[in-house]
Amino acid sequence: MLSKYIFYFLSSVAIYAALMVLISKKPIHSVLYLTLAFFAIAGHYILLNAQFLAVVHIIVYAGAIMVLFLFTVMLLNLNIEGEFPKKNIIKFAAVIVGGLILITLIGTFRTYDLEIIKNPTLNQIGLVKNLGKVLFKEYLLPFELCSILFLAAMVGAVMLGKKDIQ
Amino acid sequence: MTFKFLYDFSILTQAIDKAITGSMSPFWAMITEMTIIGVLILAFYAVVGLYLVYAERKVCAFMQNRVGPNRVGPWGFFQTIADLIKLLMKELIPIKAADKLLFNIAPFIVIIAGFMAIAAVPFAKGLHAVDFNIGVFYVMAVSSIGVIGILLAGWSSNNKYSLIGAMRSGAQIVSYELSVGMSLITIVILAGSMQLSTIVEGQHDLWFIFKGHVPAIIAFIVFLIAGTAETNRGPFDLAEAESELTAGFHVEYSGIKFAFFFLAEYMNMFIVASIAATVFLGGWMPFHIPGLEGFNHVMDYIPPFLWYFVKTAFVIFLMMWFKWTFPRLRIDQLLTLEWKYLLPINLFNILLMALMVLMGWYF
Amino acid sequence: MNAIIALSALAILTMFFGVIQKKSVLLPLILSGLIIVFFLNVIEWGTFKHYYNEMFIADNFNIAFTAALILTTFLVFIFSALYYRTVKRPLEDIYALMLFSLIGGITMASFGNITMLFIGIETLSISFYILAGSKKFDVASNEAALKYFLTGTFATGFLLFGMALIYGVSGSFNLQAINSYIIANKESIPTLFYAGMILVFVGMAFKIAAVPFHFWAPDVYTGSPTLITAFMSTIGKVASIAAFYRLISITFLNVHDFSVDILMLFAIATIIVGNLSAMTQDNMKRMLAYSGISNSGYLLFAIIAMGPKSAGTLLYFSISYAIATITAFAVIMLVREERGTFSLQDYKGLAKQNPVEAFAMAVAMMSLAGIPPLAGFMAKYNIFSVAMNGGYVWLVIVGVIGSMISVFYYFKPIIYMYFHRADAHKKIETTKAYKIHILLVSILLIILGFLPGLVIGLL
Repeated sequence: MLSKYIFYFLSSVAIYAALMVLISKKPIHSVLYLTLAFFAIAGHYILLNAQFLAVVHIIVYAGAIMVLFLFTVMLLNLNIEGEFPKKNIIKFAAVIVGGLILITLIGTFRTYDLEIIKNPTLNQIGLVKNLGKVLFKEYLLPFELCSILFLAAMVGAVMLGKKDIQ
Repeated sequence: MTFKFLYDFSILTQAIDKAITGSMSPFWAMITEMTIIGVLILAFYAVVGLYLVYAERKVCAFMQNRVGPNRVGPWGFFQTIADLIKLLMKELIPIKAADKLLFNIAPFIVIIAGFMAIAAVPFAKGLHAVDFNIGVFYVMAVSSIGVIGILLAGWSSNNKYSLIGAMRSGAQIVSYELSVGMSLITIVILAGSMQLSTIVEGQHDLWFIFKGHVPAIIAFIVFLIAGTAETNRGPFDLAEAESELTAGFHVEYSGIKFAFFFLAEYMNMFIVASIAATVFLGGWMPFHIPGLEGFNHVMDYIPPFLWYFVKTAFVIFLMMWFKWTFPRLRIDQLLTLEWKYLLPINLFNILLMALMVLMGWYF
Repeated sequence: MNAIIALSALAILTMFFGVIQKKSVLLPLILSGLIIVFFLNVIEWGTFKHYYNEMFIADNFNIAFTAALILTTFLVFIFSALYYRTVKRPLEDIYALMLFSLIGGITMASFGNITMLFIGIETLSISFYILAGSKKFDVASNEAALKYFLTGTFATGFLLFGMALIYGVSGSFNLQAINSYIIANKESIPTLFYAGMILVFVGMAFKIAAVPFHFWAPDVYTGSPTLITAFMSTIGKVASIAAFYRLISITFLNVHDFSVDILMLFAIATIIVGNLSAMTQDNMKRMLAYSGISNSGYLLFAIIAMGPKSAGTLLYFSISYAIATITAFAVIMLVREERGTFSLQDYKGLAKQNPVEAFAMAVAMMSLAGIPPLAGFMAKYNIFSVAMNGGYVWLVIVGVIGSMISVFYYFKPIIYMYFHRADAHKKIETTKAYKIHILLVSILLIILGFLPGLVIGLL
């Protein structure tokens, strides 16, 4: 009952914030709305009883990535009001393509229902204990390969950031 | 015993809960309870913030061989309340070239971050607003939001000093967050849980800092350093270095909005201190030594919330001591300290702690 | 599995050479390491082991493609000696990233679980994004990196969303489990599953640069350092097509009717657009980029037909494409070093001055065009016959027309090299070793043309 209201509240916040990311003229406002959207989604995770994921979501997105976004926006001084002019035909095409994807997805989601959607708290997988077990037993290899992925990204960051290459 | 609730607040809270749920529908009962808790935490936030300012001024004066505030009330006890009234009366100066929306939102983001973090702190047995099973992690997550407020404040003021201050502060908080997290994880390995109430319960025989001896002490020291840095305090206060940046990110704020930042800074200090006290020093758990039954029994007579506040005050005192003893670091020294020293030490320390827990080499 | 572990160790070892600064040792070390990895990989032939809850499956398909990937990387590393000869430092970061992307590629060729596919793709792509921008003070390289990064992450978003939908419906990431879900619920698969499939296809089509998701390829291939272009256009394509084949042959085989329509659309559009665009190019690198796009179209044939010989033909086509492309790029690198641009004009009279290089280039071009005795011809022939056996006549007709168009642009450099007089160009000085390498690789292409059955028969 209450969780239903919270769900609708969070969803509308998320959608509103996501729209505002696109609509708002200043890049920094977009970043802020994106943060809001992430918080709303973290709230959804809590509703689904996945507290660990919710907190990871906040730490990673709101805490780290958004701060990087803010840094970038501030360092580049992207305070230009208004967008770069785009051709009307491109806008038109984008609206049609995006609208089609939206319609397709809404159409497919409408016809589909899962047990978990009706009863969101029956899932215990989001709790840290279960998540850890799954991660370190079943998904051990992907987990370890992720370290290679991050190592590659780190090497790249250092390489691109270093001064001395010709 | 009439004061039994001092030792176990769940008696009190359950009684209140029963009274509320008995008198209205579950939906409204929940709303009422949420409101009560919110108001209580807010009041607590304000009072603690104010008195930390007072404490800092007294400690600072003591360190510098002065008297400190001594006019308003006995020992200047009401000084900060008078200050607050002054700040409330001050004019809110609007900045013409500022980004109005962000400029007004920024202080609230900082406040909200602190507010959310403090909700997870267990003050005493049964006095605990939210008890997530990932409590430690939650506190880290929500306290990391504060940096967004600081960055926005610095940027939206449209002022060079405030922008530089915000940048420094952002770099600092993002870097030191790692060390804070990792030193907490070291203890989480020992405790086997991230739930703050379980962590406190786990220290019923001995506090973790003694239980985990070497790695726990290293983690505690790292946590103190990183926590001080994360709150932009002490020797790490280059975000608001008065002599260089006038006041850093909040240079353009006045009146009550400035007070918000000021309050939030002290509140963050309180949060860091209470996490340190909870995770390393046993929170509200009295000091027990395994084997000494009589001693433990005597210790139990001191109410838990007193234990908690004394420990927190001790950590706060340590942090104030840092601030008034050490000179301020340069930005490069600051980042070097984190990335070249604290982080490697921390990673090694986690390994050490994991090994210790595996081998059972703890008390 | 051992191959991946050894390769990771090799990559990490490589990075230590940045500390000790010994350039002369690094390349031989990597090459010998790659040989060891190759053998570690081949040992597992026929064992059909799977590791860690079927995350990694070592079947013959995977081993063959892993071997092809390692071979390609080996060739690229050989030619890197020339490309980076003026650089004093050991280039440990670039080499390590190349090895990391190889790990990603191997993961993509041997995943048994969609999460592994995703991680493989990301490892490969992130390394590529950085490698594309590794010429830091070249604006074109920066542009290539940024363009590749932005479009690539966008495509990854589609891929991930598709995976999420498939997981949501089938309840598993495991390829076999999804397949059994499809078999069990053949009649009642919700539309959501198909939506997920389309999104995954979009992501994969982007990675193999199939039309209409090819826009990044020409700019990225042109802007990146030439050696990296050679690496990306071969490793990236072979690994992605292997992953795509694996995904469809194990998981989506029972809903293949649905996939065929989409894939046909991709294949036909890719062949037409790729070949027509390549015709108008004057820049060699750009032309090869479009040639790479059109080759994706042919590769898709094997996936569409899904016959018994599909896997073998795919392997043969991939190898012949990779070797021909690397040979071509090896010559392009050389010409660019001496003459400064990638323009076709630079190839005037190359045959007179540098007969070996011109010969290698001619062999590569003819192989790509599909001229009879060479590997490219046998590859195209086999892939068309696979499609024919599957009953896709129209597809084959489009493929043949595309092939005919491609002859036109592949022969352009040959005409410039052999039938044009050199204006003011001097002979390109190079080392004897480089000549031998180029010659050997082009001869490999000829030999491969006579032994298609050997490779196709493997799978």
